Amino acid sequence: MQLKQSFIIALILGLGAVASWELYWRSQGVKPYLDDNKDLWANQRARLDDDNSKMTVFIGSSRILYDIQLDIWEELTDTEPIMLAVQGASPIPIFKDIVDNTNFKGTLMVGITPPLMFSTVYPEAFPMFRAQSKVAYYEDRTYAQRLNHKLSVPLQTNLAFIRDGDEEWDTDVDLKTLLRHIHIGERAGPPPVPFNNFEEIALNRHMKMPEYVTQDTAYANTIKAAWVDMVGGDRPPPDKEATTTTFVELAKKFTARGGNLILLRCPSSGFFKEIEGKGFPRAEYWDQLVEKVGVKAYHYDDYPQFRNLFLPEWSHLATEDAQFFTRELIAIMKEDNALNIN
Amino acid sequence: MLFNSLSFVVFLLIVLVLYYSKLFGWTNKKRMLLIASYVFYGLWNPPLVILLWISTVVDWTAGNKLAVENDIKKRKFWLLLSMFVNLGFLGFFKYGNFLMENFVSVVNALGLDYQPRPMDIILPMGISFYTFQTMSYTIDMYYKRMSPARTFLDFALYVTFFPQLVAGPIVRAQELITQFYESKRATTEQFFWGLFLLTTGLFQKVVLADTLLADVSDDVFGTAKVLHGVDAWVGTIAFSGQIFFDFAGYSTCAIGIALMLGIILPDNFKYPYAALGFSDLWRRWHISLSTWLRDYLYIPLGGNRNGLTRMYVALMITMLLGGLWHGAAWTFIVWGGLHGTYLILERLQKQYLPFKITAYNGIFLAFITFSCVNITWVFFRADTFKKSWDMIKSMFYAQTDGAKILGNFDIIKVCTVIGIMFLCHWFMRNSSLKKLAHKAPPWVLGVAWAVLFFLIVISQGSGEQFIYFQF
Repeated sequence: MQLKQSFIIALILGLGAVASWELYWRSQGVKPYLDDNKDLWANQRARLDDDNSKMTVFIGSSRILYDIQLDIWEELTDTEPIMLAVQGASPIPIFKDIVDNTNFKGTLMVGITPPLMFSTVYPEAFPMFRAQSKVAYYEDRTYAQRLNHKLSVPLQTNLAFIRDGDEEWDTDVDLKTLLRHIHIGERAGPPPVPFNNFEEIALNRHMKMPEYVTQDTAYANTIKAAWVDMVGGDRPPPDKEATTTTFVELAKKFTARGGNLILLRCPSSGFFKEIEGKGFPRAEYWDQLVEKVGVKAYHYDDYPQFRNLFLPEWSHLATEDAQFFTRELIAIMKEDNALNIN
Repeated sequence: MLFNSLSFVVFLLIVLVLYYSKLFGWTNKKRMLLIASYVFYGLWNPPLVILLWISTVVDWTAGNKLAVENDIKKRKFWLLLSMFVNLGFLGFFKYGNFLMENFVSVVNALGLDYQPRPMDIILPMGISFYTFQTMSYTIDMYYKRMSPARTFLDFALYVTFFPQLVAGPIVRAQELITQFYESKRATTEQFFWGLFLLTTGLFQKVVLADTLLADVSDDVFGTAKVLHGVDAWVGTIAFSGQIFFDFAGYSTCAIGIALMLGIILPDNFKYPYAALGFSDLWRRWHISLSTWLRDYLYIPLGGNRNGLTRMYVALMITMLLGGLWHGAAWTFIVWGGLHGTYLILERLQKQYLPFKITAYNGIFLAFITFSCVNITWVFFRADTFKKSWDMIKSMFYAQTDGAKILGNFDIIKVCTVIGIMFLCHWFMRNSSLKKLAHKAPPWVLGVAWAVLFFLIVISQGSGEQFIYFQF
């Protein structure tokens, strides 16, 4: 065997193939970007265990993640924003983690997305599981996993074909995803509508709606189609009683230790606004929750300036509108003396 | 730390640079390897390195005492101490919850309402592997099969050597410790062959197991639905491929990494899915465990020295405990029991219905063996007996009204991968990768190597844990 020779051939061909792969995907418009994953979340959660006296913490689902622009928040409130919202998840597991496992008693803003918030408290159900899995990862992550993440960041941000996300976006270009796109017949039913990525996140989990979603209506429509496919099927009925009771208990504990709890209902439009209006009428869900919790609460529909914002895919604000929303919201809350800021 | 992770790439590069630098003599290189091995393990959960230290100190002490002690009672004491500590760790960390659950079930069945607090015991990665490895040293010392390790450093490195620490191969002391006595340096051929094996192992894990097979297996074994027969079979063969590529991939990586350091580890898999019968299977699958069980359990239980009935009992006990070694659940014990039953039936067949294996019936026999093995994998993979039973019913009743959850492409993909795997095992059953590589021109090997590397890179994976770590 002349293994050295084989190795040199393999190295040249292998690196050449990887470089070609990268160039090919770039030519297809794929760009390097950072993935929102459990490591990014855990890093933010770890900050809460340090001196947290000047922090504002955000929990909830993807709406508060997209709609609150952290740079603006930091600039206008002079507090350190910590984004712990989890996409497609109930706020309850994270709220419980903060109440039970931290001494945080600053401002905690909870984004309420009714279909997720009032869905269930069953730990295996996806809105709970998705959030709880982040907490579990934070508690259990190893030093090797931390190191892997640190090493992965420069690769993610410089190579288009590298992905390290927790979501399985159909726009990913790893081999498994590419194979998942192949369908022959409909033996197991029609294939799901592709769910395309619409993330642009920074290391501190400052999320922005990418420009290509805002500017390309056809792309935004693919996400809308996926929402309809995902949300349109039969769903178990909401468990308003259990979710509200659990949330109120946590809220009482948090406020009892001096925490400043604020509820926020972020905007939705189109299909989402319609199904949320029908399935989770404000008077029966949001209003009752606010009344039981007894803290400051802000519903976007109460403010005329929030009624015509641009949500390219019905659920999350375009970046400019998110910046506007954040600024206005801070102004409203300051006027309301909700942030305990002089 | 996982072989299929970025941190391991950096770790290995640092170890190789230090190992081949002229900074250290051989003793210091061994010290460096020992520290690196603790770092390798500690990056997962630092406090659990203490277990490794305790195992090391206890077996080193027991081994030294056994080397000089002639009093039978005292010799037994040192052997039992080693077994008590090692099996005690294994029993507490791996079987603590299982024993408690069964105890609670029995107590509750007797009408007593007892609900203990959950124990929340962490399972130390690879505990079954290193406890078996270190126990083999003390047992061999007890039977005077070997001399004691020359130095504590050699012994500690034997217990902790990072390439095979967490998932084997379970190497005998005689095979590994003696390699540490003299300075080792891989030849160029060994180094590049080791690197090729590392690439091949990662390809098996990242591409074949995780990318091509894991999802189908997870979907089939994860659903609560009663499945169509095709889905149940495809899910099962996907798992049979997944577990082989996952575990054989780890062993191949381990052997390759050790070889890059000039250390030779034994083969752990020899194309097991082309086995002709179950004795042959266990000579090809997880060889280091099956020989361990043979030498330290089956033979001490009497082996085939005390008549047929005692032999069958010894065989069954060995396989049941072999099943339990894999996991703390009754499904694993049933898996072991099925293998024990197969082995007994095979011996009965050889005694009463012998037939000659030819080139024509061989592949058919291998296919029958592979199919029977697949049935055992159902119990190995399913979380509950209900799930196992649902799967078996679907596989044999071929329920046409069962749920179809797999798409045609997934079925074709899995059948193709498993079909190719089976044929490769069949054609390679009396050969080896090294022999094949010897025959290939350098450019062919180079191209194949590049393809493996490229597929690993584009698969990426998310650093999924090797299945056997949990054992």
